[in-house]
Amino acid sequence: MKQLLLKIEPIIWLLFGAGLSIGTMLLTGFVLVVGLAIPLGWVPADALDYERAHALASNLIGRLFLLGLIALPLWKGAHHLRSISLDFGGESRDGAVGSLLYLLAAAGSVAGIVAVIRI
Amino acid sequence: MAGAAHPEAMAPRKKGPTRTAPPMMPSSWWSAPRIRIYLLFGATGLVYLLAGFLILRLAWALGSNPMAWQSAFDGLSNPLYVIFHLILLVSVLGVGIRAFVRMMPKMQPRGGPLPVLPPAVVRGAICGLWAGITLFMVLVLSGAIF
Amino acid sequence: MSEGKKTIKLEITRFDPDVDEVPKTEEYEVPTEPGWKVLDAVNYVKDHLDPSLSHRWSCRMAVCGSCGMMVNGEPKLTCKTSLDEYGDSIKVEPLANFPIVRDLVVEIDGFMDKFKSVKPWIIRAKERAEDMENLNERGTYSQSPDELSAFKQFSMCINCLLCYSACPVVANEPEFIGPAAIALGHRYNTDSRDEGAAERNEVFRGEGTVFSCSFANECSEVCPKNVDPASAVNQAKLGAVVDWAKGLILPRGGA
Repeated sequence: MKQLLLKIEPIIWLLFGAGLSIGTMLLTGFVLVVGLAIPLGWVPADALDYERAHALASNLIGRLFLLGLIALPLWKGAHHLRSISLDFGGESRDGAVGSLLYLLAAAGSVAGIVAVIRI
Repeated sequence: MAGAAHPEAMAPRKKGPTRTAPPMMPSSWWSAPRIRIYLLFGATGLVYLLAGFLILRLAWALGSNPMAWQSAFDGLSNPLYVIFHLILLVSVLGVGIRAFVRMMPKMQPRGGPLPVLPPAVVRGAICGLWAGITLFMVLVLSGAIF
Repeated sequence: MSEGKKTIKLEITRFDPDVDEVPKTEEYEVPTEPGWKVLDAVNYVKDHLDPSLSHRWSCRMAVCGSCGMMVNGEPKLTCKTSLDEYGDSIKVEPLANFPIVRDLVVEIDGFMDKFKSVKPWIIRAKERAEDMENLNERGTYSQSPDELSAFKQFSMCINCLLCYSACPVVANEPEFIGPAAIALGHRYNTDSRDEGAAERNEVFRGEGTVFSCSFANECSEVCPKNVDPASAVNQAKLGAVVDWAKGLILPRGGA
């Protein structure tokens, strides 16, 4: 398990780095509007009614942005949780914890690809 | 309050002739403010993971039908979601400040074909990009443009 | 800042492998002089109170890198750390994250293994004929000031091991190459005279992988020589990834 993780470490680090940088940049505006401004009534909810949301997300660029918003935070999250587990003395369980977290992120990313294609 | 480090930490490949006491963690490990911030930085991983799956759920609903989208979207005004999004906002800002202000300006490759810029320039460029993308996302999502 | 003479309480870790099961703490009353460093107080204990105390030190000017100890839980070069920074009670322990040999002396052979693993010397693809020509006129491998400044900071390391004591990854992952050794490997990778980056990047992606670093940045916080190992480690990650990507595109041994 450890050996396999060691092999894919460069890919994981690239995905983590993308999540940390691009993911954070995308999430900031998203959480401001969709997570806070609309639910708190600062921005009218019809800004993202079905038709507009669908129109935004159904072109190629919209799909890519949405996929970035789904997949990149997953990899950032999985990798950081693995390093937290290590910081709490988890060297012996690292193979299992790491594999599980990366599988979760990979499954979420694949589901994200399917989700943006379905739109 | 010093805890034990991994018993094999910094152990030589060939053990020496004398018995050694096992390595300890620094006793400042928990109390040092820097370490606490570092651990919080790592803990934002959980917030990001949840956020990714939340957005996946929204995207899935958007691809299903108008009813599914509307109910998923209206669900976001539940106070629990609002609290989560507040935590997410704090996480995103904290991660951004640590990553873009402190970490990434240090990571410029050296000795290669690219010139090494002063860290302040890199910091400014990355933070400018962050602000630009955020502004763009806010304008698009709130219906101001497109 | 010096307030004149005062007596401080020094708590020092003691461990005699022949007698003690685990390390214990002894307290000493030390009359100090203005301007003393922590090392002066530890030396006072050895000279006047308990000659059996073992600790390492040599140059007293932050060059030899042998007097690193934990002072109130933080790794410090004790010859560079003034007593004025602390109150009347100071705790001195051996460097964290290292096996303890005796009292304040730690086992550094594990570091030497890691140190050697990054091949800290100039590697040339092959000794070329032109390397040896006109040796006296231009030196062996000439280098411009700009090329020197690319790595100079990383070559200032004195191997005091404070970064290893501060690093949470070193504490938990025995295989991790660690800050100083990665910074040293990176120092050669960024040296214009060197051609061994591919070999070292393979080490960087191996067992002690540089990707284990979680950027706590503690190594750079405690470094007494401003080497900034954290930046070296993270530049090394970038280099190791680029090399890995090249290896996917080009066949093994290519370019």
